[in-house]
Formats: sequence, C-alpha cells, structure tokens
Amino acid sequence: MAKDSIENAMSQKRPVIDPSLWNQLLEIEKDEKSLSHISLTYSQDVWRRLRSNKGALFGLIIIIALILFALIGPLLTNHSYDDGTLTLSNIPPRYEIYKVNNEYFYLHKNLKLYLTEEDGSIIKMLEKDSEDLFKKQLIYAVGNGNLIIDYSTKNILTLIDENGTTFESYKNVANKTNLLGTDHLGRDLLTRIMYGARVSLLVAVVAALVNFVIGMMYGGIAGYFGGKVDNIMMRIVDIISIIPLTLYVILIMVVLNSGLLSIIIALGSVYWVDMARVVRGQMLSLKEEEFVYAAKTIGTKPLKIITTHLLPNAMGAIIVTLTMLIPSAIFTEAFMSFIGLGVTAPMASWGTLCNEALESIRSFSYQLFFPSIAICITMIAFNLMGDGLRDALDPKLRK
Amino acid sequence: MGLYTVKRLVAIVITLFMIITLTFFLMHSIPGGPFTGEKNVPEVVMKALNEKYHLDDPLWKQYVDYLKSVAQFDLGPSFKYEGMTVNELIKAGLPVSAKVGLFSIILILLVGIPIGIFAALYQNKWPDTLAMLLATLGVTIPSFVVGTILLYVFSLKLGWTPAYGIDQWQGYILPVVALSGYSLSFISRLTRSSMIEVFQQDYMRTARGKGLRTSKIIVKHGLRNGLIPVVTVVGPLIAAMLTGSFVIEKIFALPGIGRHFVQSITNRDYTTIMGITIFYAVILVVIIFIVDLIYGLIDPRIKLNKGTK
Repeated sequence: MAKDSIENAMSQKRPVIDPSLWNQLLEIEKDEKSLSHISLTYSQDVWRRLRSNKGALFGLIIIIALILFALIGPLLTNHSYDDGTLTLSNIPPRYEIYKVNNEYFYLHKNLKLYLTEEDGSIIKMLEKDSEDLFKKQLIYAVGNGNLIIDYSTKNILTLIDENGTTFESYKNVANKTNLLGTDHLGRDLLTRIMYGARVSLLVAVVAALVNFVIGMMYGGIAGYFGGKVDNIMMRIVDIISIIPLTLYVILIMVVLNSGLLSIIIALGSVYWVDMARVVRGQMLSLKEEEFVYAAKTIGTKPLKIITTHLLPNAMGAIIVTLTMLIPSAIFTEAFMSFIGLGVTAPMASWGTLCNEALESIRSFSYQLFFPSIAICITMIAFNLMGDGLRDALDPKLRK
Repeated sequence: MGLYTVKRLVAIVITLFMIITLTFFLMHSIPGGPFTGEKNVPEVVMKALNEKYHLDDPLWKQYVDYLKSVAQFDLGPSFKYEGMTVNELIKAGLPVSAKVGLFSIILILLVGIPIGIFAALYQNKWPDTLAMLLATLGVTIPSFVVGTILLYVFSLKLGWTPAYGIDQWQGYILPVVALSGYSLSFISRLTRSSMIEVFQQDYMRTARGKGLRTSKIIVKHGLRNGLIPVVTVVGPLIAAMLTGSFVIEKIFALPGIGRHFVQSITNRDYTTIMGITIFYAVILVVIIFIVDLIYGLIDPRIKLNKGTK
C-alpha cells in the first residue's frame, strides 16, 4: 500500500497522446488567429488565475456578502443592537408551540408562557395569575379556563389544563420576530451579529491600512538604506516580534482600557512588524535593479525612489502578506473581546457574543453557535482568498 | 559555535531588558495608582498602601528596584490577591499549564507529523484532500470556538468528559485537543509540503533503487530531511499555545497561568500582568534560543557562526 503510493509520489505519469492528433489538419481548420496568444496585462493575468481558483472565488463571494451583510443588514432590521425587550430574553430561533382553543402558546425553558401566532411570531408574554408552590405549578388565566405550567418533574416542563390533561406540542416553528433568537437581555441576535461584522471588518480595514502605511514605509526605509539604519531598525522589529503580538495588544489594551478605538490603536501599534520584514526583504533585492540606479542618477530623492519605484514593484508580496494579516487581525479582535478586553458593553463583537453565550451554554447554546459560525466562515473566507491571491500573484510559490 | 552562543546570549539579555522596560513603563503610564479604584479608601490607608509597595518613590527608583528584583527572579507582590506574590501565582499555575502544554505537544508530534507524511504519500488523492481540508479548518477556526464547541458536544451533550476541572484524567482530553488544534493542523500542512519536496529528491530515488525497505526510506531518508523546516516553527507554535492557553483555561476553568493572567487583566492587577508577561517572554526567548541551537545540530548545512546574512 505504502509502496505504491511512494512510487506514485516520486514519479509523474506520462500524458497519453491521442493518435488522431498526429493527423494533418485540413486547410480550413488552420485558423492562425486562434493559435496566437492574446496578451494580457499583469492584473488581467492575476484575475484570470484567481478566477480559475474555486476556493478563492468562494472566499471572495463570502467576503463581499459579509460586507453587504455588515453595511446594509442593520438598515433592514427593525431591531437595535443595544436595546432589547427584557420580557423577550433568551428566545431561541426555533421552538415548539402548543395549540389551546385556537390560540397558540410557547412554553419557554425559564418558566415563561408566550402568546404566539400560528406562524411563530410572538405576540406577548403572559403574566402568571397565581403560583402553586406546593404542587410546583404556575397558573395562567386564558380565555375562560386556566393553563398550568407544571414544573414538578426535574428538567421537564409540561403544559396542562385544569383537569390535568397534558397538551402535546402542536408544531415546531421558526421564530419570526427574532430570526436568530435573542440574548439574555432580549436583544436581537441577528442584529448584534451584523454589528459584530462591522467591528470585524473595521478591524480588518484598519489592520490593512496600518500595514500599508507603517509596515511598508518602515520596511522600505530599512531595506533601501541598508547598513546601520537597517541593522538598528530590524533589531527593533526582532525584539518586538519575539513575544507574541497578542501579548502586546493585551498590554496596550490594559493601559488604554477597553473600547473599539483602543483595539484599533493597539492593533495598529504592533501589527506592522511582519509587513516590515517582508517589504525589507523585497527592497534588498529590488534596490540593485537598473531602474533604481537610473532614478538615482537623475537625482531622485530616496523617499521618492522608495514610494514610486520600489514599493509598486513589491506589490505582489505586499498584497499576499496583507491577505494573511487581515484574518489574524480579525482573530485577535475576537480573541481580545472573548477574554473581556474588547469592545465595551452595549456594542457587540463576535468575540463578546461568544463570551456572553458561554455562561448560558447549557440552556441556550444557539447564542454561541451563530457568532461562532460567523467567525469561522469569515476566517475561512479570508484564508481561502489569501491562498488564492498568493497563487495568482506568484505562481512560482504554488505547490 | 561558541562565539555564536555568546552573541545570542547577549542578545537575549538585551531583548529581555527591553521587554521588561517596555512593560514596566506601559503599566506605570496607566493613570491613577493600582489602588485608586478601591472605594472609600481613607487618605491614611492609601498613603500606607503606597508606602508599603514603594509607590511614592520616584518612577526611576521604582524602575531600578523592579529591575533588581526581576534579576533575582522575584516578580513582586500581587496587588489584588492578598498576600500572594506573583511568583507564588506562577508556581501554583505552572504545573497545570505545563501539563496541558506538554500533552498538547505530544499530541501534535504523534498525530500532526504522521498525518502530514500520510497526506504526502497519497498526494492529490482523497486521503490527502481530506487531511488537508481538516488541517485548513484547524488553522482557520479560532481556538476559543473549537474549545467551546468541544465543551458543548462532548461534555454537555454526550457527557463523555467532565465539563471543567482536571481531577480526573478525562478532564485533560478536551483542553489538550482544543489547545493543539491549530498547531497540529499547521504542523501537518508543513510536514506534507516538505515531505512532497523531499520525495522528489534524487537521493530518495537512489534509496529505492538500491532496494531499501519502504519504511526505512520514509523514516531515515525522507523524514530526517523533511522535518528540518518543521523545527523552525517550534517557536511560533509555542507562542500560539501560550496565547491559546488564555482562552482554553478560561473555557475549561483550569487553574493554570493563562487563567491567572486573564483574571489579572480583568482585575487590573498590574504587577501580575507585568510579572506573567515577563515570565512568558523568558520562556519564549529561551525556547527559541534552544531551537536555533538544535537547528544547527540536526542540519549540518547551516553554519551558525557565519552570520545570518
């Protein structure tokens, strides 16, 4: 078994050529135009390679969908991210309803009874009329009879009528009021996830900008001037990057207190080091090219050489590094929020949503799943996109 | 080799010094002292507290004192855990964190590397595709999501493992799996690509040509060369596991250093934050140094004393 596979891995199969291909072409079949190659510009070439990569295309579509979700989504919901109805707290996206005298009821795990429509939208929470602590029953006066929630058996709630007959659940319906349910304060989870997407994308944009500005200039200057300047600048980068960047972000966040602005400052102050390294490496090889000497000869200033001659030539490597750094910045923000250092209270971020949901994971696990899925999809999309871009921009790197 | 080691040691000391300085001044740039948050502290008590912890000394003197005590491996008292020093906190948390970390490393090596070799052997066939799909998921899904989902499925729904604590051995399973998920996937991807490259080398063909057993070819000729790039990522992986331990120990309620660190962040316990950061820095710097030395030993083509340029 292993032997075959090693043979396979070591030798490439020879392609089989169809014998009919050796036949001479007829005169009309000789279409010279179709044989000549249409010349493509660099960006067209990149786009062509990117388009043929299914994973990258999938990532790209998800990212565009995510941007639309974050930008347009909040305009379409009639819920706000920071204001909830406490009576509607912890309502899952799907639930069982009971049918009693042509009225529909939803029995919530937390001993609450809701009046609903048949399609699942909640009309209101009912107030209990009395409670029988001895029998462990809650009594609701509905119409001309009583509905009773029986909680005498551990972990099992039943809805019974006055005569003690148990109601069977009528059907399982989707929550029409809050599509993904509500959190512990009755806020709409879908809306909060939309705002969380805004935070994540904002962090992504900021990380990209910081990398572009600081990372590129830092690496560009170090690489171009070389010698002592390079030595000192890169030693600083070495010292910064020896302990995990997350640790710096934590320290800076502790100093600045939590908040969206602090996250952005914290990410901005250290997240450029990898980019600086990459750009420096590119500079070292590019600065020996003839066009740089030509620019120097006509007296171009060093800064101008870096920005107009060198950096555009290193753009491929820069974009590749960028697409790798963006997901890691999004991850860091979620991570910070998860350990309680992220955005402040009413604001929602995927990390804080996961953190809040962790406390009630036993009863209301849906609160954890939706933000987690959002994080996973985003991370996977950015990574697929990044991998695809790397292959498209630099086919030599492809394995 | 000797000169290189000395040079690296000097660089380590400088690096640690910079990190200590940086964390010290960062923590001291926070407006207000560590006790200003406390409610209704009388003036006199505040003064006594400041005096006890030398907080009324000029900043440079505090700095020099701190450097001196760190040089003697004393990270000072904790401001929020009464009567505990940072050293004691670390001592209490280290066995737990080290155990989880060690088991994770064992899991990574015993599972990640074989998966990589396996995928390389079946390159572009379904076992390879499946393994690499899982590995890509493992690299992209954040550890805290993996941790919470494992907790939900295996502890709460199936009840196979305890939800928190490590009184029984089963308590280690989920944290170890969650912590190693990222590194395991990363290592297996790296092993795969480097093994594929090795398989195409001439010496592999020679080894096969002279009729060696397949297992011997893979282990002795393939693995020895294929694992060299893997050694270089040990540093970043240890770093990933350190930061991963913050959330994993929080999710599974393990009393390790990571959890103390997260708690000290929420409590704004500045000396503990500072102390644990420095502790982490020392561990990382030392590990990276050792890895560099080992790298030179296993790959004789790399000459350490010839500079890195």
